[in-house]
Amino acid sequence: MILDFQMNNLTTVEALEKGLWRITQRSDDNLFSIEVTLDVKGPALDIRRAVLDVKRDVLGLASDLTPLSEKLVGVRVGPGMTKIVRGVIGGPDGSNRAAELVLEAMEMLVNSITVPELRKAAAMAGVPYRAEDDGPKVFVNDVVIEDDMVRKMAGNPRLKDSCAAFRDL
Amino acid sequence: MLEYSRCKSVGVQRQGEDRRVVSGVLEDELYAMACEISVDWPSLTIESVQTRMKRFTTGRCPRAKDVFTRAEGWKIDSELDGKIKKEIGRYGCRHMAILMVDCCRALARAELARELKAALENTPDLDRRSFVEDFHQRYPDLRGYLQLR
Repeated sequence: MILDFQMNNLTTVEALEKGLWRITQRSDDNLFSIEVTLDVKGPALDIRRAVLDVKRDVLGLASDLTPLSEKLVGVRVGPGMTKIVRGVIGGPDGSNRAAELVLEAMEMLVNSITVPELRKAAAMAGVPYRAEDDGPKVFVNDVVIEDDMVRKMAGNPRLKDSCAAFRDL
Repeated sequence: MLEYSRCKSVGVQRQGEDRRVVSGVLEDELYAMACEISVDWPSLTIESVQTRMKRFTTGRCPRAKDVFTRAEGWKIDSELDGKIKKEIGRYGCRHMAILMVDCCRALARAELARELKAALENTPDLDRRSFVEDFHQRYPDLRGYLQLR
């Protein structure tokens, strides 16, 4: 069957210099297109620059998000960000859609920072793995981090309760 | 230098009068997964959920699969995001939950886009705000859900 609606979303995290990241998220569907750009500085992981640029709005419902995006400057990527971002960007005078995209962009920075730790753990304590519904010709997932290391990693405040795999350990 | 990249792609199709099907894929450095959801229309009820965890980090991740079908029987309304994030994200996989949220919202937006396209063919200078209001009156459960702006 031919599709009659598509949504595509690409988020990239780029290191501009040591401790300074640019997160760019472009979301497109048949009705709406927006690009979110956040510059975030470590070690506090606070937003230094935020741009919310509506590229296409078929329904003509989007308001100018520039004044709201300026309020994101100073918001930190970390605990409490969901409530703050929804309060600043979302609501009846804002854009709930943009708020969710900003939060997703912020979460991708967290993922980005976590990758080296997971990569190290997989190298140190990776065990061969074949999922039941993987293959039969090509196996996408060949190694997973073994349970003892997962328990150990769950002690890391950044990973603890970050997802179901690191919860209740 | 690029440090992380996530791509999500969602497609919606209409299968006859009373069924809508959405398929979604998510791929980034850490995870790769896919889901397909069929929804009864216009009751907006999720009929079936089919998922595949393709690439993940721990042996605990694929156990989440048992949780994903909890969404079968749920309705698309303003409560759905919270239910998916709480039930499926918390006890299954938060990345699959995000993909499922995107899929369900795209499915509902597709209906509006489909109707808008048809309406514009008949009335090129259609008042789009009135059109959206009319759509919400016909599908009141979608009023707080679509996030059109």
